Amino acid sequence: MVPAGLRLDRVGVDYGAVTAVGEVTLDLAAGGLTALLGPSGCGKTTLLRVVAGLERPSRGRLLLDGTDITALPAEARRFGVVFQSFALFPHLSVADNVAYSLAIAGVGRTERRARAEELLRLVQLGGYGARRIGALSGGQRQRVAIARALAQEPRVFLLDEPMSALDAKLREEMQVELRLLQQRLAITTVVVTHDQREAMTMADRIVVMSAGAIEQVGTPAEIYHKPASAFVASFIGRANRLEGRVCCGAIETAAGWLRPKGGLRFIEGAAVQAMCRPERVWLRPATEPGENRLPARVVFVRDMGHQREIHLGLGLDAQGERLIADVPATDTTPFAVGDSVTAEIAPEALLVFPGQGTERPLEVAR
Amino acid sequence: MSLASVDPLPSEAEAAPARAAPGLPRPALALLSGVLLVLAVAPFVLVFVISFGQNEDGAAWHWALVLENYQRFFVGLDYPDTFSTLYLERLWNSFLYSVLGALIAVALAFPFAYALTRRSRATQTLWLVLLLSALSLSEVFVVMGWDILLSNKSGLPMVFRETGLTQWLKDVGAFPILREWGLATPRNVRFKPSVFATLVSLTYIVWPYAVILLYAPLSRLDRSQIEAARTMGAGPFTVVRTVVVPAVRLPLIGATLLLFVYLLGVLVSVTVFAAPPEHTLTVSIADAVRGSALNAPFGAAQSVVLLVVASVFLLASLWLTRRAEATR
Repeated sequence: MVPAGLRLDRVGVDYGAVTAVGEVTLDLAAGGLTALLGPSGCGKTTLLRVVAGLERPSRGRLLLDGTDITALPAEARRFGVVFQSFALFPHLSVADNVAYSLAIAGVGRTERRARAEELLRLVQLGGYGARRIGALSGGQRQRVAIARALAQEPRVFLLDEPMSALDAKLREEMQVELRLLQQRLAITTVVVTHDQREAMTMADRIVVMSAGAIEQVGTPAEIYHKPASAFVASFIGRANRLEGRVCCGAIETAAGWLRPKGGLRFIEGAAVQAMCRPERVWLRPATEPGENRLPARVVFVRDMGHQREIHLGLGLDAQGERLIADVPATDTTPFAVGDSVTAEIAPEALLVFPGQGTERPLEVAR
Repeated sequence: MSLASVDPLPSEAEAAPARAAPGLPRPALALLSGVLLVLAVAPFVLVFVISFGQNEDGAAWHWALVLENYQRFFVGLDYPDTFSTLYLERLWNSFLYSVLGALIAVALAFPFAYALTRRSRATQTLWLVLLLSALSLSEVFVVMGWDILLSNKSGLPMVFRETGLTQWLKDVGAFPILREWGLATPRNVRFKPSVFATLVSLTYIVWPYAVILLYAPLSRLDRSQIEAARTMGAGPFTVVRTVVVPAVRLPLIGATLLLFVYLLGVLVSVTVFAAPPEHTLTVSIADAVRGSALNAPFGAAQSVVLLVVASVFLLASLWLTRRAEATR
């Protein structure tokens, strides 16, 4: 089956006076996996429900391979949906759950059974057809939900927080399995998640949403390394944040001066926030003043096994803002609580955004 | 302080009396249970015992151990000279009215309750208050309302005649069928006495109960199951048939059984709307105990038979339900 491309054209959803989704325009590539990522209440599930046909948009259009399907009801779209609760039918056996859409379509019993078994084998549950849903574990239920959604050979595959009911270890395994399955079947897929790790593992493209609007669309690497806003930088992965003001082409913070690579796009005196990833903070054992070098003291060390998180109090008295640096775990501990250090941030690792509460970025047109 | 000096924690056995302390003392609890048991069981035992008693002239009776009341019920007093199935027919009427009334009420309540759960919270609350208010109406009041509504001179038959509906029914040839069903005289439609009027009244009485009994399980239904079915191609009716009804099948059975038992005891509706040959056992019991017959032992025997039949029916239904669940 040829995968279908989906376009959301200025789609918005209002509930009375409340706007759940502002006005979203988005192209979902045929055969790709797109993750809608954002905090609770950002509108990602609402958007997925609009795509599934379970919610009517207040405005905008939905185009499937160029055909307007906005008014098409959910039962006529042939989109496979995996719900957060899996929504399996407890009164049916595993095989009957998987074959539900085929029964609705009038497929004969023998063919239904064969197809259900084939799909169950695909999700590594061959031989489970006669079991009751209540007899399955969380991971097995998720596989049944996936097999059931795939039974009707969907044009688009939609998953709403599919891993949230699973424990951490199983979640990691299923992320990889689901991605491999999606690549094998090459179905246009949309996954809703609030787990950035899940999105990074599975998606070709990530759509970061906040307050009913898209903050950024990009590949996992783009989203992580080139976040478009302070929100994206702090939501995807961990980020250190320092408040400051633009002065003489650099950022003056309480702890010292920072100068990003390529200069600043902000006008003189503008309030900004400088952000950097913990793994891009390098620690030197002694106080070595200089640009992009901030004096600090170790206040806490967290051993994560494969690496250590060094929590720093900035300033000579360690009373300033907090900074976290990730260092590789070694047999010896190079930094201990109370040590004076220098935190160096590479210019190319510095991300600069308008300061918090700034109504509009005081950017210089470039 | 050394570990040895710490008081050991009380064992489970020692701790148990302490946990029981806030409740009633055991003898008081036993006494209360005994009193409740006696109060609950005593009337049934008394009715059972009286059913073997003997009637006397002037509405009196005396203790005895005779089977004549049961003989009268099953085969008639003059058996083997004559054989009477009058009371068995009344039992059958009780069964039929109760089953049909319960099934119709549940069938009408299900779509209403399902639609109600999909409305706003405010609408749901309003309807629930109205339904609870309807429950407070006594059977006598309901029957009086329907009696007026169905009366031949001032009720629906009059409306039928005045609006020309009666003539239209005659013109389209539906009248002979209505007459065959006992719902028309040669001149106009007639709703009482009839099985139809009795069933309408019975259904009206228990319909609010059915809605309230079904509302809770339908409210708890996982909405995502309905949505999942829709995304797999199921239309609204298919969703109800394949997802909603199976999900609430046990509450549906439970509600039907409960209403069936309730309707077995309904008296006024049957007395007013059913023709004497269609009267139920409840009417006959009321006649025997407080009515024209005044034969308490025979009334008690009829009550025992009704109780046994209802119990057998309920147990059989529960057994079948459990068996069906186990074989799923």
